[in-house]
Amino acid sequence: MSNVDVRNSSLQVKGVSKAFGSNGSGLLALDDINLDIPPGEFTCVVGGSGCGKTTLLRIIAGLESGYSGTVLLGENQVVGPGQDRGLVFQEHRLLPWLTVQENVGFGISDLPFAERSERMQQYIDLVGLRGFEQSYPHQLSGGMAQRVAIARALVSHPQLLLLDEPFGALDALTRMRMQQELLRIWEAQRTTMILVTHDIDEAIYLADRIVIMSPRPGTIKRVFSVEMRRPRDRTGNQVAELRKSIYREFFTKEEVPEDYEI
Amino acid sequence: MSTAQQNVRLQNSKGVPFAVPRKKSVERAHVAKRLVTDKSLGLIVPVAGIALWELLSRVGVFPPNALPAPSVIAQTIFDLGKSGELWKHAGVTLWRITVGFLLGAAVGTLLGGLTGYVTIARKLLDPVLQSLRNIPSMAWVPLFLLWMGIQETSKIALIALGAFFPVYLNLSSGMSHVDPKLIEVGRVYRLSSLQMIRRVILPAALPEYIVGLRSGLGLAWMFVVAAEIMGASRGLGFLMIDGQMTGRASIILASVILFACLGKMTDRLLESVGHRLLRYKAQ
Repeated sequence: MSNVDVRNSSLQVKGVSKAFGSNGSGLLALDDINLDIPPGEFTCVVGGSGCGKTTLLRIIAGLESGYSGTVLLGENQVVGPGQDRGLVFQEHRLLPWLTVQENVGFGISDLPFAERSERMQQYIDLVGLRGFEQSYPHQLSGGMAQRVAIARALVSHPQLLLLDEPFGALDALTRMRMQQELLRIWEAQRTTMILVTHDIDEAIYLADRIVIMSPRPGTIKRVFSVEMRRPRDRTGNQVAELRKSIYREFFTKEEVPEDYEI
Repeated sequence: MSTAQQNVRLQNSKGVPFAVPRKKSVERAHVAKRLVTDKSLGLIVPVAGIALWELLSRVGVFPPNALPAPSVIAQTIFDLGKSGELWKHAGVTLWRITVGFLLGAAVGTLLGGLTGYVTIARKLLDPVLQSLRNIPSMAWVPLFLLWMGIQETSKIALIALGAFFPVYLNLSSGMSHVDPKLIEVGRVYRLSSLQMIRRVILPAALPEYIVGLRSGLGLAWMFVVAAEIMGASRGLGFLMIDGQMTGRASIILASVILFACLGKMTDRLLESVGHRLLRYKAQ
């Protein structure tokens, strides 16, 4: 289990740009993105639709090709998907023909049986699904299915967990409960996490750092450090202040230059 | 998590983490009662029909040489069984079905898998196979007889042809329409092509494949009748023709019933295999 020890590497995104459309001439989805994420940090990337936040996450996950710039995890350059990065999608994407347990163990089929079983149980316990090992995905609620997806992503001990709007499809109350759960898991595992969301409150509740992105072209507009102690009071003054300044980033004079397009 | 929660069975509770256990015994009794009434309702018409048929035959409304009474048909089947004729003919037919179906399904699986996974193979082969499918099946019979003679080979080939197309079509479309989002999960976990096929694509295509196998089997039964009518010295189809030649309607009807029973039996076999494989879908 030596891969647990090497968890302490930082993520560096250096000058990443990506264009969609024929031979790169089209829309710039990402324009010169630079990001430095220290190990163990919880980063939230916030932006409206089309700001390239999901593309950025997919590049880090190794699912996109045809971009310029580099992504480094520790010493290693990211060239494709790898066991050092776990990914949770907006939809749970569990394989419907596998049980909860088999889904959790999907990415560690190369481990010896005993170790694999132990790990699967460990992560099923971590996400609070003991007793549901033999259930099939269609028998689970949305929140439970997303817990399984988180366990599946964490079971191979990644250095980095990437979450692409993981709670976007859940109802508001379940979403808040899942945010608490995710914090608890983060505190227990200390895996570096990058969560992409359009929900400002979610970012304020979770993140050490909030990266605000703006669209056309996709750029990093501003980075907020959140110094508040956890658990954070969602209705407290500090949260309200921060929310106000983040809102200001989205809805102010910056929108005016758009008028030139007329 | 407490043991109490472990014992709770899930009932697809959207948004609610743990479903409240329902009063199972009451519910099961209710369901059972409904099933029984459904089944018995469906039986009323056929049972009444057979009774009426028997009655009208006995009174002499139906001429016995054209439409014998159900009891006469039952007696015919019984006699055929006692003399050993039944087992001989049914055995031959079952053997043809088995070999023909397995052959057709195997080729269908091979080509379906190939065209379902390899895009270039689909572009090359699929249009040809799709256009061959438009040829009415019986149109092949003279050619098959010419090529392979009147013996077993041509019959097996015809049955295999019948089984081939549904298996091919369903597997091919099942494999090529796997949810790209699940394929991407496979990519995240760096599955090799073979692992991707085994762990993602095939399980995802399995429901369609089983539908293909079942309709392939259905067509195989259609084709075996055709093949045995065309020229055979044994088999249930031959028995039918024999009944027609010798003017014994009871033999023809007995064969029809035997065909129906055997067809249903083999389908149930496939259905139960499919049910086991797809048990994850059951509630």
